[in-house]
Amino acid sequence: MSKDVKHYWTSLDRREGATGMAPGPEFEVPTADDFRTSRRGFLAAAGFGLAGSAIAGCSRAPVEQALPFLIQPEAIVPGRATYYASTCGACTAGCGLLVKTRDGRPIKLEGNPDHPLSRGGLCAVGQASILPLYDSQRLTGPLQQGQAASWAQVDGAIAAALTAARDAGRPVRLLTGTITSPTTRAAIDRFLSGFPGSEHVVYDTLSTSAVLDAHERTHGVRVLPRYRFDRADVILGIDADFLGTWIAPVEYTAGYRAGRAPGDQPARMSFHAQVEARLSLTGARADRRLVVAPGEYHLVLAHVANRVARLAGVAPLVEPLAPAPVAEAVIEDLGERLWQARGHALIVCGSHDVALQLLANSLNHLLGAYGATIDLERPSFQRQGSDRALERLVAEVAGGSVGALIIAGVNPVYELPGGATFAEQLRKVPLVVSFSSHLDETASVAGFVCPDRHSLESWSDTESAAGVVSVTQPTVSALGDTRPMIESLAIWSGVPRPAYELLREHWQAQVYPRRLAADTSFEAFWEKAVHDGFVEVAPSVPAVRAFTAVPLAPPPAAAREADALALVLYPKVAMLDGRGGLNPWLHELPDPITKVTWDNYACLSPSTAARLNLDDGDVVRVQAGEGVSLELPVCRQPGQHDDVVAIALGYGRLGSERFAQVGPRWFEARPTVGDNGRVGQNAAPLAALADGMWRYSGVPARVTPAGRRRPLAQTQSHHEISVPAHLAPPGGGRRPIVQETTLAAYVKDPSAGSHGHGEAAEDLWPPDHQYTGHRWRMVIDLTKCTGCSACVVACQVENNVPVVGRDEVMRRREMHWMRIDRYYADGPDGSVDVIQQPMLCQHCENASCETVCPVLATVHSEEGLNQQVYNRCVGTRYCANNCAYKVRRFNWFEYPREDRLQNLVLNPDVVVRSRGVMEKCSLCVQRIQDAKVEARRQGRPLEDGEARTACQQSCPAQAITFGDANDPGSRVAHLLHDPRHFRVLEELNVKPSVGYLTLVRNRPGDGGEGGGNASHE
Amino acid sequence: MRAMNEHAVSLRAPLISGGRTIAQVTEDVCAPMEGRPTALWWGAFLASFALLLLGVAAVSYQVATGIGTWGLNRTVGWAFDITNFVFWIGIGHAGTLISAILFLLRQRWRTSVNRAAEAMTIFAVLCAAIFPLIHMGRPWFAYWVFPLPNTRGSLWVNFRSPLLWDVFAISTYFTISAVFWYVGLLPDLATVRDRLKTGLRRRVFAFFSLGWNGSYRTWHHYESVYLLLAALGTPLVISVHSIVSFDFATSLIPGWHTTIFPPYFVAGAIFSGMAMVLTLMIIARTTMRLENYITVRHVDIMAKLVLTTGSLVGLAYATEFFIAAYSNNPYEQFVFINRAFGPFAWAYWTMVACNVITPQLFWFERVRTNLAAVFVLSLFVNVGMWFERFVIIVTSLHRDYLPSSWADYTPTSIEVATLIGSFGLFFTCFLLFCRFLPVIAIGEVKAVVAHDRHAKGGGQ
Repeated sequence: MSKDVKHYWTSLDRREGATGMAPGPEFEVPTADDFRTSRRGFLAAAGFGLAGSAIAGCSRAPVEQALPFLIQPEAIVPGRATYYASTCGACTAGCGLLVKTRDGRPIKLEGNPDHPLSRGGLCAVGQASILPLYDSQRLTGPLQQGQAASWAQVDGAIAAALTAARDAGRPVRLLTGTITSPTTRAAIDRFLSGFPGSEHVVYDTLSTSAVLDAHERTHGVRVLPRYRFDRADVILGIDADFLGTWIAPVEYTAGYRAGRAPGDQPARMSFHAQVEARLSLTGARADRRLVVAPGEYHLVLAHVANRVARLAGVAPLVEPLAPAPVAEAVIEDLGERLWQARGHALIVCGSHDVALQLLANSLNHLLGAYGATIDLERPSFQRQGSDRALERLVAEVAGGSVGALIIAGVNPVYELPGGATFAEQLRKVPLVVSFSSHLDETASVAGFVCPDRHSLESWSDTESAAGVVSVTQPTVSALGDTRPMIESLAIWSGVPRPAYELLREHWQAQVYPRRLAADTSFEAFWEKAVHDGFVEVAPSVPAVRAFTAVPLAPPPAAAREADALALVLYPKVAMLDGRGGLNPWLHELPDPITKVTWDNYACLSPSTAARLNLDDGDVVRVQAGEGVSLELPVCRQPGQHDDVVAIALGYGRLGSERFAQVGPRWFEARPTVGDNGRVGQNAAPLAALADGMWRYSGVPARVTPAGRRRPLAQTQSHHEISVPAHLAPPGGGRRPIVQETTLAAYVKDPSAGSHGHGEAAEDLWPPDHQYTGHRWRMVIDLTKCTGCSACVVACQVENNVPVVGRDEVMRRREMHWMRIDRYYADGPDGSVDVIQQPMLCQHCENASCETVCPVLATVHSEEGLNQQVYNRCVGTRYCANNCAYKVRRFNWFEYPREDRLQNLVLNPDVVVRSRGVMEKCSLCVQRIQDAKVEARRQGRPLEDGEARTACQQSCPAQAITFGDANDPGSRVAHLLHDPRHFRVLEELNVKPSVGYLTLVRNRPGDGGEGGGNASHE
Repeated sequence: MRAMNEHAVSLRAPLISGGRTIAQVTEDVCAPMEGRPTALWWGAFLASFALLLLGVAAVSYQVATGIGTWGLNRTVGWAFDITNFVFWIGIGHAGTLISAILFLLRQRWRTSVNRAAEAMTIFAVLCAAIFPLIHMGRPWFAYWVFPLPNTRGSLWVNFRSPLLWDVFAISTYFTISAVFWYVGLLPDLATVRDRLKTGLRRRVFAFFSLGWNGSYRTWHHYESVYLLLAALGTPLVISVHSIVSFDFATSLIPGWHTTIFPPYFVAGAIFSGMAMVLTLMIIARTTMRLENYITVRHVDIMAKLVLTTGSLVGLAYATEFFIAAYSNNPYEQFVFINRAFGPFAWAYWTMVACNVITPQLFWFERVRTNLAAVFVLSLFVNVGMWFERFVIIVTSLHRDYLPSSWADYTPTSIEVATLIGSFGLFFTCFLLFCRFLPVIAIGEVKAVVAHDRHAKGGGQ
């Protein structure tokens, strides 16, 4: 090799060297021989390369940015959840929260069991309100004229504009929803005090203004009373959906359930009558439901009031009266019951008409409800809005006199009947500031947007009922460059202070002096309040005067235009006034009554629909007032008045365009949004704001077919508990899935309604499972369950259940592990009975799914859980076919989880399932394990009630009991022996671990009318 | 003597008509393999292949995107997939019946049709086997259904699951059918080999004919193996479809949970398979000029079998209704009322019309011997039997116990394309078979021809 090697020189010196001088270092051009590799070497290299590429190929997801804490925070243990007490900011009800955080981020909201108002419950909207925290379309900083700006710029411009308004003598108006925070109210007062002639205008989209106005007339104070359903034995609801959407459903449900406990010691069973035009969640629970057109509520209540007055021996309250639209006997019975229960009777009225509210107040007074079932001494602050003030403000804005309008917590351009006009007129206002955290309808026409923080990012407080002050504490640092409203107001007042200090100062000055325990220091008082999430203090007693009789107007004559229907606009359980309109969980939550998702629609009674020759999904044009019309699909709604068309509010929000991307994408997929690019349509323009009253119902509306179809995405398409009549077998078509009985029958025989049920005959074979340790079982009380669907969302959050979109729901592929089956049945006198039955995996002892899986992907645990092993599942779907309860859910697609910010809400304890695998309720096995680990860590046995499923935890009605049946002291073991206990489809002998308690309705009868169980014997 | 002969002939008409000699038999059967393919063949092949490609495209899209591209939902977890699976498995049964059971029963008429029927079995099982595979949510893990030793501790398959029984039943069935078919092919492969002079085809046939030399010993071994395989195949005719029916019978879904299913399914399988054999044989006979081998008599016999099994199936339908009524089980009763009068009533009555009413026409000899009529009726039976499986699967699932979960089912374009694609696969395979292998068992037919000639020439 050496001979042939060419010598190259690298420099002239070297060349010299090569030509005779000292030889320098040389380099050689390699030849082909140098690359010769031995066979062994080649094999070694090939082997290494193969192994290397195989190993590289094995890593499925490269770890990106797994940074450990530089300094381990004291309270955070990786893998262990930390809970913070706080207050729910989803609505003004102010329910107590426990915020579950993992590794510094909140992942779930749970009810605070100690909270005196919500008592551990949390509604679906509250549960879902964690998702907006991780909304990637939330504003991350202030906007000036639609452009991103710095806070300094915005503050400077706003301060200048405010000064200009003051100098010009034009008033400043602050327009908000009800503010339950005393600190915020004080901050607002301080801010506005700097601007003479300014005013704080409060309105509630779901207005109860008439209730407050009526109490101002009868009791001298404009307050919302606190309704004590827990003290009521007879409840008459008039168009008030107090278990679903009215004011504080969780608090009211907690009270209501206390009165619906026929099996407790002592037993209590209230009587609940509901007068309404459409079938509401509350009406569905009523023992007697009177279907009355919206224009006739007044007349019906007047008849009842006169009946009570006659029993009380006083003059009739209202005269003269047209004949009642319901049977005389019904009125008599109602009056009789109310009078018998005087002192324990309660009338709640959701009407927006002050005259009707005055009648309700008078009747409540006559029945001795004030001071008993209605608390005016410790009133509620959950609604303070005034329709009259709002109407005045709208006129002012139209008149062009307002100098500055600051809008917080409301979205008037969307919510007001004349929202589009209002948006136009806002141009006349020199300064419009919105605190909205999204570029919503109002924010997009406001000059400045100063995004407020999410309630999980901020310090605040809430006094939703006098004497109960709750604390809101941040559980995560702000995800954007946002600023709490009170800080903004403080800056614009010229005294910038952080929200935390403002809060503490206000507490020290105003809340601490009202303390009940005299000998605590402020620090201790504050610490306890932050720890507990609330503190009970002396209520600031309003100057309530004794009831003053007011002249009661006779009910207006029902003026009904021929061939027009009465329009009823109603808040839907998940959407309310539209605050849920950007939340996919709430859009996919089926309406508890109609079971429709992802749309609003025009509800018509089946006979009206038949008269107009309309079927579900036929689009109609609903026209109310002049020129205002909407095109909506029809939903036929049993139990609705024939002369009524009902439409849900809260849809068609700006920003719901994002849901066009929800759900799997394939060539037959249909979009989730409608023709307008949004989810549903805004029905607010159909309402009317006039004469100090926001009229949501009774507006005449014309319904004409539009000649097209838009099928509804319903999770349940067969609605009766009976099979269709023309297919019914000889024994009758009613299926014995739900046991129900009447109170009269139950009192006689606690096992009434359960004929034909009971333990199945002895098995030939020894039991497959021994259950020597824990034996998890669940019992759901159908008497308590209202169908509010809080459990559905709770389960979705806890178990990372995906959102699949409208098209997939239409294809009947919704993924909810927990669903609520809603059945209609024929009630007495032609009424409609509604049954709500939460349905989840029944965790059968002889599970039909377990035997059929070819790969053992679903197996039985030693503790009675039916476990799905996701990574073993190959997706034959045989288990789902063979499940009698159809609770198994299949991942038909890889459901998109592309929003990385939103993925922060995922529960790290629960695997996210990939496509092609089956999933279902696990009875929150991760929570059971958590409780077991904690008990073991503390070296003690697990106590009853420590392991709680997500659905159970949040149930406002506490209808769900879960526990260890092998522990004889547990509540669930006790309930298993309740005579009301039954299991669905018991005759199949699959032995479900989930049982139910018979639905008891408080009505006369021997239980035969609803039982239906004996019919197949 | 002459009268006696005539009498004998009328008692036993020759199985092969046209007085074909042994040499002519070889010529006739080998003709389609040795000439150029006809335009008809090309047309049929290209059409089938196009359908196959459509199916491949549909399945590829489905596997890439998800089972959601089918119309299934949380209530109806199986529909077209398992319908197609049971349909094709059923088709296969006639082949095994003809080749195994009729062989054991010494039904010599089978010799003309057994080769093609066995090929049909194999292709049908192939089509069937695709569906359990692609109906999985994660078909790439399909091998998990086999009890493979693994390092995951005690992870094993579930021997209690009828789907696992299916795996064993189908794989056994396919293996036995393929081996039986191949063994039966050996003498004919050798015949073809000997007719070819040189070239690749000769080498291929030489390889696959396993050195067949036609000696007495070879024939003797062959006959023994064939008999043994026939005996092995016979129980499969009963067992495979019984096990397939267990997928339904052992479940707790009303309409599935029925003890009548095994015999009902076996009868249905033979019914549908015979109809498919008729369809294919009538086509093959006409297009490949095999009128002398597949005679009207064959068609007549098979039509009688269709009539018999069709009546059995009709009896099963009636029995189901009777048992539902007699059981006083409201769920069971509802399923059957719903089948007949519910949303899928059109499918149910299509099934009844095709499966119960149509075969009754075979009582008439004029119908049985009219090839056009038999062809049309066999198509009806094929359609009807597909609908039978559809009705059993979908109508039972879509309205089961809890009315809240009731749902309807509509197939998507992907599902329809997959069904069409399976027909494409079947006919592509069958056409290739017709082109490249002897469609009639030459060796066996020669035995029949010789017997006839012997009977005629020798006098009795």
